[in-house]
Amino acid sequence: MAVLAVSEADHLRTKARKDLLNLLEGVRGRKNLVISKSLTGPTNLFVNFSTLKEYGVDKLFVLENGNTDSSQRNIAYLVHGEEPSQVQATAEQIKKLLKNGSVEHEISIFWVPRRTLVSNKILEDEGVLGDVNVSEFPMYFLPLEDDVLSLELEDAFMELYLKGNPTSIFLASRALMLIQQRHGFFPRILGKGDNARRLTNLLVRGRKELDVEDGSSYGGGARATLPSATLDSLIIIDRDVDFATLFLTQLTYEGLIEETVGIQQNQAEVDSSVTGTASQNSTQPPQGSTSSNTSPPSTTRQNLKTKIKLDSSDSLYSQLRFSNFAIVGSLLNKVARRLESDYEVRHSARTTTELGDFVRKLPVYQQEHQSLRIHTNLAEEIVKQTRSEIFTRVLEVQQNIAAGTDATYQHDTVEELIARDVPLPTILRLLCLESCISGGLRPRDLEKFKRQMLQAYGYQNLLTLDALEKMELLQPRSSANALLLPIPGTGNTGSNAAANNNTPGTKTNYNYLRKVLRLIMDEVKEQDPNDIAYVYSGYAPLSIRIIQCILQKSYIQSLNRSPFPLTPASTGWQGFEDVLKSAKGPTFTITQKAFDERLVKARDSLRGGGGWKTIYIMFLGGITFTEIAALRFVGRQLEGEKKRLMICTTGIVSGNKVMERVMEKRGFGAGA
Amino acid sequence: MNSSNPRAGWEKVGDQFYRKIQLYESVFDPDLELGDYLVAGAPHGGAVALFRDEGKITRYRGASVARSSIDLYSSAGKLISRLNWDKGSIRGLGWSEDEQLIVVTEDGNVRCYYGLHGDFHPFSLGHGAEVSGVVECRFWSSGFVALLSNNSLVSVSSYDEPRPKVLAMPPAGELHAWSLIPPAYTLSRTVEVLLAMDRTIYVVDATECEDRGLSDGPFKHVRVSPNGRFAALFTEDGKVWVVSSDFQDKLSDYDSKAKTLPKHVEWCGNDSVILAWEDEIHMVGPKGVAVKYYYDGQVHVVPDVDGVRILTNEVCEFLHKVPDETEEVFKLGSTSPASVLLDSIEQLEKKSPKADENIQRIKPYLPEAVDTCIRAAGHEFNAHLQKELLKAASFGKSVLDLYSSDEFVEMCERLRVLNAIRDYRIGLPMSYEQYSRLSPERLISRLLNRHEYLLAIKISEYLHLPANKIYVHWACQKVKIASSDDDAISNLIVSRLKSKSGISFSSISQAAYDEGRGHLATSLLNSEPRAGKQVPLLLNMEEDEIALDKAIESGDTDLVFFVLLQLKKKLPLASFFRTINNRPMASALVESSARAQDTELLKDMYYQDDRPVDGADLLFEEAMRQTHTRTKMDKLKLASRLLTDSRDANAQLHTKIFNETAQLLKMQEAFDKDIANTNGNFAGLSVNETMYRLIKSGYGKRAAKVQSEFKVTEKTFWWIRLRALVAARLWGELEEVAKNRKSPIGWEPFYNETLGAGNTRLASTFIPKCTNLTVPERVEMWVKCGMIVKAGEEALRAKDLTTLHDLSSKATGQQAVEIERMITQLKPRR
Repeated sequence: MAVLAVSEADHLRTKARKDLLNLLEGVRGRKNLVISKSLTGPTNLFVNFSTLKEYGVDKLFVLENGNTDSSQRNIAYLVHGEEPSQVQATAEQIKKLLKNGSVEHEISIFWVPRRTLVSNKILEDEGVLGDVNVSEFPMYFLPLEDDVLSLELEDAFMELYLKGNPTSIFLASRALMLIQQRHGFFPRILGKGDNARRLTNLLVRGRKELDVEDGSSYGGGARATLPSATLDSLIIIDRDVDFATLFLTQLTYEGLIEETVGIQQNQAEVDSSVTGTASQNSTQPPQGSTSSNTSPPSTTRQNLKTKIKLDSSDSLYSQLRFSNFAIVGSLLNKVARRLESDYEVRHSARTTTELGDFVRKLPVYQQEHQSLRIHTNLAEEIVKQTRSEIFTRVLEVQQNIAAGTDATYQHDTVEELIARDVPLPTILRLLCLESCISGGLRPRDLEKFKRQMLQAYGYQNLLTLDALEKMELLQPRSSANALLLPIPGTGNTGSNAAANNNTPGTKTNYNYLRKVLRLIMDEVKEQDPNDIAYVYSGYAPLSIRIIQCILQKSYIQSLNRSPFPLTPASTGWQGFEDVLKSAKGPTFTITQKAFDERLVKARDSLRGGGGWKTIYIMFLGGITFTEIAALRFVGRQLEGEKKRLMICTTGIVSGNKVMERVMEKRGFGAGA
Repeated sequence: MNSSNPRAGWEKVGDQFYRKIQLYESVFDPDLELGDYLVAGAPHGGAVALFRDEGKITRYRGASVARSSIDLYSSAGKLISRLNWDKGSIRGLGWSEDEQLIVVTEDGNVRCYYGLHGDFHPFSLGHGAEVSGVVECRFWSSGFVALLSNNSLVSVSSYDEPRPKVLAMPPAGELHAWSLIPPAYTLSRTVEVLLAMDRTIYVVDATECEDRGLSDGPFKHVRVSPNGRFAALFTEDGKVWVVSSDFQDKLSDYDSKAKTLPKHVEWCGNDSVILAWEDEIHMVGPKGVAVKYYYDGQVHVVPDVDGVRILTNEVCEFLHKVPDETEEVFKLGSTSPASVLLDSIEQLEKKSPKADENIQRIKPYLPEAVDTCIRAAGHEFNAHLQKELLKAASFGKSVLDLYSSDEFVEMCERLRVLNAIRDYRIGLPMSYEQYSRLSPERLISRLLNRHEYLLAIKISEYLHLPANKIYVHWACQKVKIASSDDDAISNLIVSRLKSKSGISFSSISQAAYDEGRGHLATSLLNSEPRAGKQVPLLLNMEEDEIALDKAIESGDTDLVFFVLLQLKKKLPLASFFRTINNRPMASALVESSARAQDTELLKDMYYQDDRPVDGADLLFEEAMRQTHTRTKMDKLKLASRLLTDSRDANAQLHTKIFNETAQLLKMQEAFDKDIANTNGNFAGLSVNETMYRLIKSGYGKRAAKVQSEFKVTEKTFWWIRLRALVAARLWGELEEVAKNRKSPIGWEPFYNETLGAGNTRLASTFIPKCTNLTVPERVEMWVKCGMIVKAGEEALRAKDLTTLHDLSSKATGQQAVEIERMITQLKPRR
């Protein structure tokens, strides 16, 4: 009955694996598998190519390349069914295959995560619906780590905040419903932000619909109609509550790897010099797919890039990833020394058993050595960048803006950086940061910067700037969006959601929250962190502070001189309702009660209290590595209360990833 | 079922017992000439379909009877429904596991009747079936194979999404008989067909047709056992062969000595074969031993997983192998513990002390004896015997210290259900084995097909199963047949079902809509809690706006998209926009999908919404896609024209940018013409990049022109010039620049960049110009250029002794001497 939270990740992993392999098994004989690009990485997280081979997969193709081999009879497609463009591409490709292939094809489609009406329609319109076997591959949450579940929707951020397309919210609700079906309902759902509100509505609705769906007060349904005994609560944070954090340079080791080389699904593509020559065999790109493609991607060959795996299977990396980069060097030294001394044991080994012990541990040493070499090289690569003048200046500007000094003082530096052709994402991050924190730029300044950026990086970026403005990331300061000081409200925040709709902030007021929630910590010990602010060397991400308002009330109280209206019995948002009105969007709490309270009581008295409880934290619109690090830090402090955190998100984001998506890539070149 | 002799109807076949149980009497109207009918029975004791065989002459009975129909009967002979049939000649009549009746006509049309009452899904076989014509069909639990007159085979493996597939082409020739192995029992997991042709058997699957190389044919009947492991072959000379289904082992043979071919050859369970002539049945058990049964009239044999139903006008019988447990208990002279246990019950009733003696005797085996009795009770059709056996089990149980009664309780439950449905009024003569395979849920749906709601609800409650489907089914039926007015029905249904959880009002509503009762459908739909489920129906009902709202409410973007697609197709553009206008999510979705596929729609949309800037941006994007400068400019012009009336700052900025873009393109075109450049075209570069490249290529003047044209700030221009000159290593030019007295960006960048490019000499010239820096900074700068002496001088001027000491450690040779000199110079004189 008691399903441990840690095993949730395992459960999802094995389920995804089993589901996919079953689907593949359903296609008899050898087959080619065509995967859409956005799914190659995620698929890699739970199944590798050799396993696919065992299940009859002959060759792998990427949908977008359009080079599917038509000589194979069986072809299976693994495509995201929620994205009409991908569905369209699939339909067209199948149509082509059916038309001009000399072979009679047997085509199957596995829609991820479900078969949609639109996909049916598109296939029908293309006239191929009757010729394909359609199945579903219900993959929602994918575990990146044992405590990090991600929907891996790369576009979620853009879809939510630019296009207003809430598909990711819907998928998140599906994913969370599945968790609730396994563990019972979240007794409480707390949330902040408009999209959080939307997701909660879907979850509440979902619970009602579930009753209809199975209508079963019997069998598997029984668990789902009761609040869970193992889940504590669900906290939903909408990314737009705290955009500013996104634009700061992440200063943990993992964060900096993301900033410098980028991480996709626990993998980073680095220069092969980092891994060293010896590793060529061991770090064969796990994605055997690329090598078996008919057209091997030429880029990897030219730049000699290697993929390295960055997850907790590497024990060294798990020690390093959440540390501030400042201490990574010394940590590496320490490990190097330890390894050395471990290795020296062989000289002092006297008896054969001692020697035997040593030999047995050899592979571990070698692995550790390898990992140490990779991370030392990688850290050096990063140091090269962090030592550069531009990096320090950018950081300086960021920290000054975050600390609330008048941002106009930084404008000269930004102008200079533009003139020096520093990559546009970096510039945009600085300006967006300023815009977010000080409620927009002065119209005159903004126009000046816009012109400078357009002249420096090309006029096509007009579209980039328009997009950023639409997302309210980079906008002029006007009376309309001037920062409203919080009105100490008559806020009544009961368990009822409707009561929470009183004047939610339309914009996050960082200047006020900085003081009240102590976002800037002057003394942050990077060696032995005492506050989450260590992840940005002095700035505590607002998003996590908000979560701390629920989980660590007394700690937040200790940071602030004036007392919050807190009692020891305060739960949920209590005590912070007024403060949080200064952050964008509604703040709300929902209690999910059993239809029959007695059942819960009976169950609780049977189980006895005092098991571990899991708090799910859902970041809509994405989470950064630094925020994950900060949450882990918070989580460690909650261990005393027998609570653990499970981090869920629509995907991993970072300032660069966002800008990468926003930026207009076409130009005015002739051959466009 | 009146006989209480447990061994009534037992026959010994070889070393096994078979028994024939009479299930029902006077099944069919004596006037019904069973011989003239095609008979197909649904698996697991389900309904029986009768259709008049058109090949047979029939007695004329007046015009009313002449209308042809497919009649569905229960096994007890109760007419369930009559499906009118006027679609031509039937070539296949069969059932699926879920009691769907499949009717295949000669021209390849298929109807899949569900629910036993005339509702059906039609589909067509295709693959030339309409031309060549269907000859015959064979069915399995979830599909069938049709044989066409040209010997090609078409298989359908699912009725939910029928997808007829043609199998590999068998050789031409006369086909004597054929059969299939269901997908569940083949290696390939797809259906395989056995064809008896010439003297051999061909095995056909999706890709190949293989000759099994037999030589004892021709075979007139081929049948595969229910578990797919054996095949029965009936040869021309009246012999039956049982072989393994891979044709490797011959297991038994039997000579029927009959001159005529049997009408049917069927399997009875997995170990005996039934040969049926008009009024005679031979049952061939293992090792070729047979038993014969004779009937007065026509017999039909309906095979099932564990036995066969035998239907005549008078009786319906079940013939099967006596289960091991039953045999153990009841076999004449059995001394098994179970049998002794049963006996002790009799003794107990007689109050004889032998009861206890018996028990003591079998004490060590008592648990098994109890188990056996319980299971034997399960296999029994006779309630009296069931009770006896259960009583025995109960008695045995009471003697045992530790015994889990679960199985006993469960068996009692099951038997109650079985006895209830075996009643002649229900007519589902299911064996225990069949019931276990069918599952209670599917049993309930069979009851629903027969409209036995009360019994269904009772059983559901008894077995703790959800009853919601029953209510929904009832309500759908109510909607279909009730004649009272819409509101009354709606009220009745809602009031009855309101308190029940899990009611799908959308299905009820759909049923109402299908009956053409739109108003009723709408009012029922209001009670549906799931927004998403309402949408398709609302779309059908042309309630577009409500459908859209419900879709949005569900949060399911797929659904919203779907509705939008439909609406866009249906509505004129203006009203389409009006519909989505006040629904932000809908318009957002339209916008983002149009962006990918239909920019014209997007333009219209922006125009309607009065969003000129967005519209202009679209044209701007189009300009980018053009390949010629001229067309690019045209698009840009169009874009700025769109904004002429707009006054707000943003629009003005856009206009300005459009104009600048055009201007830049024009200049770049000129540059591309004038300046031969190996690095590619100017077109497509940004303003800064253009200046950078111009300077790098030595066209400083033109760069300056670009600067003034685009009002690039001095600072920016200086930086660009610096970077370009350093990159091109135009040191001379750089020195030229250095002659300026003042630099808007200071001189430090000059130092840094030149130093970075490795020109220490030139870099050093900038150090004295950096007057705003501190002394230690400048010292550092000198040192970086390798000019320790200069650094020393700097320190000397500032009278900084410690720095000098530091420097002396770095200095070598002549330098060291110099520094030493300076140190002494600075040292306070003694």
